Amino acid sequence: MNATAGAISLTSRFTTGLLNRPVWFLSLVLLLCFWVAAWAGAVPVTTNDWLLLWRHDEPLTSGAYVLWNLRLPRMFFAALVGAVLGLSGALTQGLFRNPLADPGLLGVTSGAACAAALTIVVLAGSGIDIPVAWRFWVLPVAAFAGAVGVCLLLDTVARWLTADSIAGLLLTGIALNALAAAIIGLCTYLATDEQLRSLTFWTLGSLAGGSWPLVATLSLLLVAAIWYVRRLVSAMNALALGEAAAAHVGINVRHLRRRVIILVALLCGFSVAWCGVIGFIGLVAPHIVRLVVGPDQRRLAPLAMLVGAIILLVADTTARSVAIPAEIPVGIFTALLGAPFFLVLLTSVRKGS
Amino acid sequence: MTDALKNISLLSLDRVTVNLGQRTFGPFSFAIQPGERVAVLGPSGAGKSTLLKLLARELTPVSGHADFCQSPLKDWSLSDLSRRRAILPQSHEVAFGLPVDLVIGLGRVARMHDPSLASIVQQAAEQACASHLLGRRFDTLSGGEKARVQMARVFAQLWDVEQGLLLVDEPLAALDPGLQFSLMEAIYSFAANRGHAILAILHDINQALQGFERLIFIKHGAMVGDYRTPHVTLPLLEALYNVSLAAAVTEEGEMIVAPSLKRKVVA
Repeated sequence: MNATAGAISLTSRFTTGLLNRPVWFLSLVLLLCFWVAAWAGAVPVTTNDWLLLWRHDEPLTSGAYVLWNLRLPRMFFAALVGAVLGLSGALTQGLFRNPLADPGLLGVTSGAACAAALTIVVLAGSGIDIPVAWRFWVLPVAAFAGAVGVCLLLDTVARWLTADSIAGLLLTGIALNALAAAIIGLCTYLATDEQLRSLTFWTLGSLAGGSWPLVATLSLLLVAAIWYVRRLVSAMNALALGEAAAAHVGINVRHLRRRVIILVALLCGFSVAWCGVIGFIGLVAPHIVRLVVGPDQRRLAPLAMLVGAIILLVADTTARSVAIPAEIPVGIFTALLGAPFFLVLLTSVRKGS
Repeated sequence: MTDALKNISLLSLDRVTVNLGQRTFGPFSFAIQPGERVAVLGPSGAGKSTLLKLLARELTPVSGHADFCQSPLKDWSLSDLSRRRAILPQSHEVAFGLPVDLVIGLGRVARMHDPSLASIVQQAAEQACASHLLGRRFDTLSGGEKARVQMARVFAQLWDVEQGLLLVDEPLAALDPGLQFSLMEAIYSFAANRGHAILAILHDINQALQGFERLIFIKHGAMVGDYRTPHVTLPLLEALYNVSLAAAVTEEGEMIVAPSLKRKVVA
């Protein structure tokens, strides 16, 4: 073999190897997205600003200030929230044995929205004086409590009404979601114009609240979740055989279900509490991965996190740089960018097989 | 049942009853010895699948004692139980179109450390006539192929175990006779090599008469008979199914039974 042929086979081996290892491929894409996202935005950032940050030089230029205090934490936060939503989606779809399931079915979103609506309309309208230091925390804490509370309530009620059936969990979830929607509707009806506006914006979702403490908290939460999920993924695969057959091969479906629900409640609850409702990623990120690498949960869960991170980072970067100085709610872009991509992938995979 | 017999049995039921919906099934009392081949026969709706669910621990008895390997069935952890008994289900659906290799390997998912997994999956697939299906997606398979893969999964589950129990719920009814025959042969030889007992729910009387040494009759939710196969007579079968049967004996001396319009049931 001569040298040129060797080099060609080496490069082609490198590219096919990269495509065979979607983790590396997606990590590279994510890095690239980070690179683009750091430069995009209302305030231009120069290489000099980066150097300032690197050397800890004072005083900061406006570019360096924006980069460190606003843009970077927001980018990391977007990627983390996207990862959380992708992972939650993969777990929920595995639990329901249905690729159309979404974490919202477990009541996370409606629980958080319900608590947020009650906080914005009822608590604010009641005239209770909340100390200034607490005001910032009231809404996220209420939304988090609402998300986790409704999830656990759903699991308990469904277990009580329909034994351990997962179809029963789905049906109870639909009923509980409808109930939450009714409460949100009532709050909307009672709200003043100003309250209505903040409620609507909360529902559209935004990553503008991203800050370093939040990034640190969510990273810790995600690392703990990944460590925990590693032991669950094989059991999730067994669940695809059906609840009965999963029990026959030694999986305690009752425990598995409880663990998945708690995990999704905590992860999604946290993200929805700080960002509002960001739909579509939980549904589509695992779906995209399944189309490309297949449904094995051991690969699906980590890759869905990466795809979720990429989608949300790209969507958020677009949302804050497309109509400078205005900022468009990110939830609009997750669907606007994700849906066509998903459709293209769907047709190409169907044609291929 | 004498205590001596109970002590060596793999599975023993002592006046066990179970509720499903508004109905009560049972009492069931019988014991299965290691390596035994038992078929459960009875008309549709008689409670055969309920009995299997009871043994699979999907249903909990309301009275009586069910013991597996000398300890109460309810005290077994699902994971320990999965290493001694496997269940071949009636339906074969698997969500998401998992790859065949993974489906077969899931038989052994309860084992934390399983270094020989890949080779066992390979051998189990071979034994179930499914090695040509490895690498395909489960949801692209035909009914017969799905049955083979599920069988390979069950084989993988009890591959390196001795004296286990294989519960089989009429998995082959929808398959062509040739495939039924070869898959039943695969199950028999798999179980015989390892001393596994088989308890199978069957609709095919001839399959039961030919392949099983003992038949348990179930009717109207209760056990109505427990016979060694040579002692099973035509009137017993006719009474079980409320149908008139005709029997012929092959040159090899096997009895073949079929519904008959000409004979009347002799009550």
